[in-house]
Amino acid sequence: MLALLPQLLVSGIAIGMLYALIALSMTILYRATTVVNFGHGDLVMVAAYLLTIFAVNATLPFVPALLLSVAVLFAFGFLLHRAFIWPIIRGPHLSLAMMAIAVGYSVRGLVRLEYGQEAVRMPRPFAEKIFFVNNVVITLDEIAFCVVVLVMLVASYVVFSKTRFGRIVQAMFQTQRGASLVGINVMQYNNVIWGVGCALGALGGVLLGLILILDPDVGAWTLLRGFAAMTLGGFGSLHGAVVGGLLIGVLEKVLGTYVSTAFIDITCYLVIIVVLLIRPRGLFGQHATLRV
Amino acid sequence: MRLTRRAFWLLPLLALPLPLVLNQYYQYVVNLILVYVLVGVGFNIVVGNLGQLAFSNVAFFGIGAYASAILTTKLGMPWWLTVIPAGLIGALAGCAASIPALRGVRLFYLAIMTLAFGELMRWSYIRTPVLTGGSMGLSVPPAEVLGWTLTRDDQKFYVFLFIVVVVVVCTNRILESRIGRAFQAIKNDEKAAAAMAIATSRYFLLAFALSGFVVGIGGAMYAALVGHLSPEAFDLVQLIQQFAIIMVGGLGSLAGSVLGAILITATPEIFRDWPGFEELMFGVVIVLVIMFLPRGLVSLLARIHPVFKDRFYQDD
Repeated sequence: MLALLPQLLVSGIAIGMLYALIALSMTILYRATTVVNFGHGDLVMVAAYLLTIFAVNATLPFVPALLLSVAVLFAFGFLLHRAFIWPIIRGPHLSLAMMAIAVGYSVRGLVRLEYGQEAVRMPRPFAEKIFFVNNVVITLDEIAFCVVVLVMLVASYVVFSKTRFGRIVQAMFQTQRGASLVGINVMQYNNVIWGVGCALGALGGVLLGLILILDPDVGAWTLLRGFAAMTLGGFGSLHGAVVGGLLIGVLEKVLGTYVSTAFIDITCYLVIIVVLLIRPRGLFGQHATLRV
Repeated sequence: MRLTRRAFWLLPLLALPLPLVLNQYYQYVVNLILVYVLVGVGFNIVVGNLGQLAFSNVAFFGIGAYASAILTTKLGMPWWLTVIPAGLIGALAGCAASIPALRGVRLFYLAIMTLAFGELMRWSYIRTPVLTGGSMGLSVPPAEVLGWTLTRDDQKFYVFLFIVVVVVVCTNRILESRIGRAFQAIKNDEKAAAAMAIATSRYFLLAFALSGFVVGIGGAMYAALVGHLSPEAFDLVQLIQQFAIIMVGGLGSLAGSVLGAILITATPEIFRDWPGFEELMFGVVIVLVIMFLPRGLVSLLARIHPVFKDRFYQDD
């Protein structure tokens, strides 16, 4: 039984990288605007569809199609915040959450209307390939996951902690009013952050498209795993999102193999519930709850 | 003539002759509206009145429906005796869903957690085929009330109408009492409410349990209406539909829940043939309502006549 463990760790870490990327993109949105985007999963899903449209219907090569769909998602995130989130940002949290959900559902409805009946496969940039390292199977996809996510993690770490832009975002996270008082154009920065978050999510969607047959409901699947990773790592923490994603990926595989296959589906739900009940701030988060 | 809130009693009376003019299909839709009136009323208690971001309503609905169906099929109870137990089991689920809120989980955290709870419940309908029939679904025998078997939809209509009137009137009494005021106070400012010696956690528990009870009864009615339960009925499309009901009708308004249930339930029946259309429509409708009518359609009616204003109506 234990001989399987290295294999489980490797594939768990690979899928966990994907969850980490999605959680990372949601964390970036959350850090700037303290709004959780409940429609994020659907935007991730639509990115894979967009790439398929650009690559198959418009017969573009893979890389331009990828860049184009990431760019479209950037514009979408930018406009989503500018047109729908910013006008109600002072309103109750309920409206903000509902707005994101409603936009996500509209996107999902559009995709289902167009592709609901057919199984769509995203085109692949490279052929599937398998490597053996000491009896552990590693696919080329898994290596691609790790490379992309690590590069993105390092990039966002540098941007958020070393640049002027990152310091401004940190200022906005602490207090939006204070940031605008010292002359930061909060709305414009938030637009950009939403664009960046959605673009990162799009990258996650494309990676997801490598291993799944596309389906409009993938969005909800992704969203819950992203939430589980964020919750476990601690809301608002960048490295927490990544560690959380990796842990969820490994937990899914390990529990799914050694305990019951049911855990492949429900690990993320259980993690959310257990973490919020026992340690609501997660592994690396700071203030998580309001207590009375 | 001065219009008072008693005028609402006319509504069920006006609905009484409906079966005479409706054909089978429209009768079914009207019955479905009655089910969703309870779903909306129950959902609105937690979201509108208590002001909490909880997504567990679909879970209560499913639990009520499966509870009623399992009690009739496995224990052979007549349907009418399962209505109250279905409500109680829904209330129990409500208590369970309120545990995170009692532990201080709020806002987005509560939303995420209740979302996970709902998905976990849907997963368990599929994975416990012994009780729920799994993904094949569970067939429910025709509903039985006091020895009578309800086979036609117009017979169900009168039973449903009776249940809905009783539950809505009781909910109204509760929401206009001290309890409703406490919910409103918690919604406006939880810390201030606690400072005014309102036992916030007790009211959280109460709101979730009440919500679960009302929605659970709605679930029992749903089981009797459709005759066959499948896990897909309690998926995320159901969630957006229930949100659309309370957002379009009006958050925190009983009249709004009823209005929303009528409007939202009647429309998608026309579009059943295009999968995806429901999601698109509900999504767009909710976006428009949030942007332009944050208090829902009932706020338009309240502008015409104050009778539609709720007793504790306040602007956010």
